[in-house]
Amino acid sequence: MSEKTRYWMLALPALALMMIFYIWPVLNIFGISLTEPEPGFGNYTRMFDSNAVKVSFVLTFRIAAITTVFCLLLGYIVAYTITTYGGRRAPLMLGLVLLPFWVSVLVRSFAWIVLLGRSGLVNDTMMDWGIIETPLRLMHNELGVLISMVHVMLPFAILPMLANMRGISQSHMMAARGLGASEWRAFREVYFPQTLPGVFSGGLLVFVLSLGFFITPALLGGGRVMMISEYISYQIQELLRWGLATALSSALLVATALVLIVAGNFVNLRKTFLERK
Amino acid sequence: METTDEQFKIDLAEIAVEKYKAGSLSRRGFLTALGAMGLVPLLGKGAHAQASEIVICNWGGAASDILADVLGTAYTAETGIPLRVDGAGPSPGKVRAMVESGAVVWDVLDSGAGSAIVMNEAGVIQPIDYDIVDASKVLEGTALPFAIGNYLFGYGLATNPTMLPNGVPQNWADVWDVEQFPGIRTFRKSVRGQLESAVLAMGIPKEDVYDFLDEDGLRAAIAKFRELRENIIVWGSGSESQNLFLQGEVAMGKIWSTRAFLLKDQMEPGTFELSFEGGVLQPGMWAVPQKNPAGTEAAMNFIALTQDPDLQIEWFNAIGNAPINPEAAAKVPSELAAWNPADAANVAKMVIYSDEWYGKNQVHAEELYIDALIG
Repeated sequence: MSEKTRYWMLALPALALMMIFYIWPVLNIFGISLTEPEPGFGNYTRMFDSNAVKVSFVLTFRIAAITTVFCLLLGYIVAYTITTYGGRRAPLMLGLVLLPFWVSVLVRSFAWIVLLGRSGLVNDTMMDWGIIETPLRLMHNELGVLISMVHVMLPFAILPMLANMRGISQSHMMAARGLGASEWRAFREVYFPQTLPGVFSGGLLVFVLSLGFFITPALLGGGRVMMISEYISYQIQELLRWGLATALSSALLVATALVLIVAGNFVNLRKTFLERK
Repeated sequence: METTDEQFKIDLAEIAVEKYKAGSLSRRGFLTALGAMGLVPLLGKGAHAQASEIVICNWGGAASDILADVLGTAYTAETGIPLRVDGAGPSPGKVRAMVESGAVVWDVLDSGAGSAIVMNEAGVIQPIDYDIVDASKVLEGTALPFAIGNYLFGYGLATNPTMLPNGVPQNWADVWDVEQFPGIRTFRKSVRGQLESAVLAMGIPKEDVYDFLDEDGLRAAIAKFRELRENIIVWGSGSESQNLFLQGEVAMGKIWSTRAFLLKDQMEPGTFELSFEGGVLQPGMWAVPQKNPAGTEAAMNFIALTQDPDLQIEWFNAIGNAPINPEAAAKVPSELAAWNPADAANVAKMVIYSDEWYGKNQVHAEELYIDALIG
């Protein structure tokens, strides 16, 4: 057995697991979408005819995009601060970023309900301080979904950017400053371009994860901010329409793949995901 | 399409958990309820009912426990035959599979009109023997040849007066009046029992609701929801609807009377009201599968026994399943009558749910409804 074969053998259990529990079910999903309730592309034509599906898809992409932008903005600042000014406290700061990962998304979403509710902590405090007279509507709408999605997704944006920034030598900035560039110009022309791979991988990660997000929108959206995954679950649970639901799932998968392909035209995905400097 | 609202019955199971926490259900009762839901394998291999017992199949949870406690005790006392409750859920598919394979283990099913029609068409249930069962002891229209009403449940208009400075909406037209009655409304995330509100808000008399709901009428009702949607939060489960009121998220809404029954004790006095004006009343149904193990007579005897007014009141007090026997409804203590959808005064205000309409139109209507809410 050559060395190469032996390494492939080591990867085999993971590969088999993926084949059995991921690839095969996904193929089945495609299968059901083409066979239920009758063979053909009926589910797909239905999907394109339905206004609700269109609305849900647009909403899904809009929320994912806004979430990504906010995560990148906030995340960049955090990552930059940790790398540049963290010093001895950097591990602690990193720990704080990771901390939410140890708490289930479900619990975090419920926590937001406690905070954002009509008689929640935020509204009550602002009313007590006399800032507002009537409670603001902070959840059961798109705003609530966005607030908690940004919170849940933030670590996914921070970590890739942090890894990237840590690989950038501070001496580049110092050299630029030494050559007479202002601090802002040194950041903009020397540092920032080097962080782009981290920004893109963080952004893609957040965007793709947001597209399929279920728990947070379902809990904070009040039923009317129906992202595509919630729409799918509604089709199955309320209407028992497996055909349409699986067609929607396939469409989401294809749409996500398209996003990656389009992104691939602008970013070198191989560089973004595989080779880190 | 099968239209029995299984989610309502599953919701009763959830109420069991709350009752246990609140201490009004014993630990033994709670475990039995969980077992009935299939969470604890209590029933073991007992797949074959012996002729010496009668098996009632319902939907699990507190409903199973209380059925065994209230109706089971009375039945055994009268006939000497032990009664067992199986909470597996008698969906038409399961009943059909059982009858066709010749391995029937259930004697009486806690079903719904929609399911009963489906099962009757499939030829898997028996005619009700009206020599033993009294057709006059149920709400008019619920004594079918092949099934008979067992209890009532319904939707009412729940309100939180403290959130409504201009008073409480009196009917559905008021609910649609957001100028006079500002605040968030809640409706179910399904058309079942909800479309009726929009139709009534248009001024259609309650007797004509389903006649009005042809394709044009349906579209008009959906348009009404579209009009109101900025003010709507939808509830998916019974507990969700309860939470929306508990947390003060909504000022008014259409919720199950069983949940309102719990809320009246949980909310501060003066912060919760329920009206059945333009509510929706839905009957549950007893049905008996073909070739049931205990025999036709035992099953019919059981159904006849459950028509007893006192038993029905006991059942109502325990879980909020409203008595279907009009005589029982009159005997409900006056302080609870307002919360009882089967109370004659309330029945007079309500729309009787049409399983037939939903059987034909539900899927189409759901799609339009969700489109109106989000699109």
